[in-house]
Formats: sequence, structure tokens, C-alpha cells
Amino acid sequence: MADMQTGFWAGWIAVLTLVSLAAMGWLVWSIYFGRDSHEETPEEPVWDETLEEGHRPPPLWWFWLLFGAMIFSLIYLIFFPGLGSYSGLLDWSQGARMADSMENFDARFAEPRAEVAAMTLAEIQNDLNLMDTAERIFRRECSVCHGPDGRGQANLFPNLHDVDWQWGASPEQIEQSIRGGRRANMIAWQAVLGEDGIDRVAEYVQVLGSDAAAGHEGATQYQQTCAACHGADGSGNVALGAPRLDDDIWLYGGDLATIRETLQNGRYGVMPAFGERLDDFQIKLLIALLAR
Amino acid sequence: MNGLSLHRKIEENTGLLIFGILVVSAIGGLVQLVPVLNQDSLEEPTSNTRPYSAVELTGRDIYMREGCSVCHSQQIRPLIAEVERYGPYSRAGEFVYDRPFMWGSKRTGPDLHRIGGKYSDDWHRLHLLDPRAVVAESIMPAYPWLGEREASEAGNITAKMRGLRRLGHPYTDEEIAAAEADLEGLKEIDTLIAYLQLLGTNFNEEEETNE
Repeated sequence: MADMQTGFWAGWIAVLTLVSLAAMGWLVWSIYFGRDSHEETPEEPVWDETLEEGHRPPPLWWFWLLFGAMIFSLIYLIFFPGLGSYSGLLDWSQGARMADSMENFDARFAEPRAEVAAMTLAEIQNDLNLMDTAERIFRRECSVCHGPDGRGQANLFPNLHDVDWQWGASPEQIEQSIRGGRRANMIAWQAVLGEDGIDRVAEYVQVLGSDAAAGHEGATQYQQTCAACHGADGSGNVALGAPRLDDDIWLYGGDLATIRETLQNGRYGVMPAFGERLDDFQIKLLIALLAR
Repeated sequence: MNGLSLHRKIEENTGLLIFGILVVSAIGGLVQLVPVLNQDSLEEPTSNTRPYSAVELTGRDIYMREGCSVCHSQQIRPLIAEVERYGPYSRAGEFVYDRPFMWGSKRTGPDLHRIGGKYSDDWHRLHLLDPRAVVAESIMPAYPWLGEREASEAGNITAKMRGLRRLGHPYTDEEIAAAEADLEGLKEIDTLIAYLQLLGTNFNEEEETNE
């Protein structure tokens, strides 16, 4: 074990521990069973007229208590690490215990996990118990950002009940989002578009997808700067995380002021990666919950 | 000699009694504390652990100032329930650059040792300024002033880094010279988020399996 003492300090610990244990044993023993432990001393000092100073040994059960504690320590030190570099008969270690309980934990859940691994998403979705588990995982891991009901919050964290999913709503895309996280990167366009350009494009983006978009004065600049990611018709691109602009679903807000802000400063939304924090079983349940 | 006559001798001689008390009460420390001062595994950083940058160090000081450790611990115990909930249990080598460490002893809120990377910066910002904005049932206090105060005024960062270097943190002259510029324009909340996002991420489970 990496954390055990070795060399001089191991000996130091072992010797000091055993010597002080032996010394204590001798002290306790001699007080109860030493040669003069039951003799009366000739003169008993008396203080304040009534306080006699005796030296009778304390009750015998104290002895057994102390003696028992010392025997226990000895046995403990034989079985568990404690005496310097000696790791004990049981070879116990914190890391090994952790690894053991992890193994037990995995073994205990191996069967239901294997079952879920073999199920299709549709089968999981039809199993009320599993969906209940999935919802609990969602509440614990996801709801802090996406809201307790998954409807998003704070105009920062996407609603998971709508149809416009920035990074895609297929099971594969959802899995990628959960495992690896997502990092959106819409840069600031203030310098390129200029104040007037921002106004025009913001208005155009707002009406995009409706009849008002035809012949709009912002269209030219939109095609030059925005279309590469968001598509010429504003239909978005899930591979880049560029949201649809031709519908009425907005993450940060669809009012003119917010769209202007988005264009001016850019948006860098982050979904953290959960691949390390959740296991395959939990991720599959979440996908089943979200891909409905 | 036997126990009682020794007992009598000690009790009647104050100097000897004091000496005896000192010896007996020192044994615990001699066994528990002195060897640890010479234990390398407690002083060696885990492979990825590095000293805090100027920004993270300032964030850490704010973490201390606001008393975060009163409600949040930073120590994941080697128990399955903790490891399942928070991540790999805490190793001594992860705290070598923590002076003082922020382990805490009470969890009114969750443990924060592996919080780094769990939430986005945006989330932390909202949550620190007003926890109820993202978690309706949260009982954590709001810290609105973190968004207003300048990070550069949170303390003398240059002096702090020099002091830590004297204690053995390997800061270079360049890092110390650039420290104030690093904090330029940042609010306290930015540095605190930088610190939170670093927490527990300097850890590689494969490398640290020490059995």
C-alpha cells in the first residue's frame, strides 16, 4: 500500500505503540495485583478534619474494562494495519475495501443492467418502473439546469419538451450530448454587421419563416454572415448546434432586444459532459426518457 | 519496584509528576503526528495537481471569505454511497496546494470536491447570484455582491503568491508579475467560478489506483 510508513518511522510507530501498551498493562496490573497493593499504610493523612486519604485500589470491573481494552487493541493491531509497515493479517486497506464494495455494487445490479442493455428504447419506454427510475435520474442530474419538469429555465437552459433541439433529438445525438457535453460557439457579430446591420438582421431573423421575410432588407446580410451555420432558410444545423431560426422557439428569447443582444455579443452555451458521472445504464434510461 | 511505591513517589514529587504527564501525553502525538511529517505520499501532488493560478487563488480566497466551507465539504469519503454520488474519493495529494485546506466538516449543501465541470459557468453565475433562479427549493443564501465587486480588490494577489512560493508552491516570477493583470476586469464571481470549475478536476483515476 502506497500510504504505509516504511523504514525508520515504521519501527518508531511499532516500538512506541507496543512499549506504551506494555507499560500501561504493567501499571494497571501492578496497581491491582502488586505486592503492596492491599497493604494498609500506617499513617493515613486526614485533611480538613474529615477527608481521609486512602489508597485502596479502584473497583475490580475497572480493571477488566482497561484490561479488555488493551487486549482488544492488541488483537486489532494483529488483524489491521497500525504497527508501522505491518499491514495486518486481514491485509485491509481503504482502497481495497472501496474496490470490493464497488464490485459488490456492480454484481448486485448486473442483472437489471444487462436486461436494460438488451432492451430497445421503445421497450424501456413501455416499462413504467424503468421510466420512473429514468425520471428520478433526470430530477437528480439534469433538473438543476433544465428545470424540474425539463421545460428549461432562465432563458439559458433549453426546454426538452419542444421540437427544436439545437443538437438534435435522435437517440444517437442525445447520447452524444449527454456523454460528451456540448459547447455552442456563436461569435459576436457587432464588428462585422455594424449597428444598422444588427438591426436589420435581428428584424429579419425574427420574421424568418413567415411571409414577412420575403424581400426583407436584412436578407442579404443574413445570407452572408448567418446562413453558413443556420441555413439559407433558417432551418438550422444540428451538427453545428445552430438552432432553427424559422420557428417560434427561442432559447435566449425571441424579442427584438434579445436577438440584437445575441448578435452583438455572441452566445456560448455549455452543456457539461456526463459520460464520466453517469454509467451506461443511467445514460440509456435518460435517452429513453428524452427521445420520446 | 512495584506500582504503588512508584505511584507514591510520583505523586509526592511535583517535578517528576509533570515530567511523567508530559511523556504520557506526548506518546499519542509522537506516534500519530511526527511520522506523518515525514510521509512523502502526503506531500506529493497527484499527477495533475498544480498550484492555483492568480484567478483561481482569488476565487479560493472568496470561497473562504464567504464561508462556503461552513455548509459545503470538500472531501469525498471512500464509501460507495459517496463515490456513486460525487465521484472518485479524495486523495491526500490533491490538496498539497491548499493552504489552508477547505475540507469542511458539515454538509448542509452537497460536497463540492468534484464539482468542477459538472455545471456550466452560466449556471454557476445565476446560481451564486440567486440560487432560487435555478433551484426553486434551494436554501442556499444569495451572494449578489460577488457580481459587483472587482476581483483585483479582493486582496493583494502578488503578496499572496509570493508568500505561498515561500511555502513551496512553484510559482514563477513571470506568473507572479502577471498576477495583477490576470485579475484585470474580472469580478469576484468570475474568479470564484474559475476556482469551482477547477475543483477536483486535477485527478486521474487510472493513475491513482494505488493498490
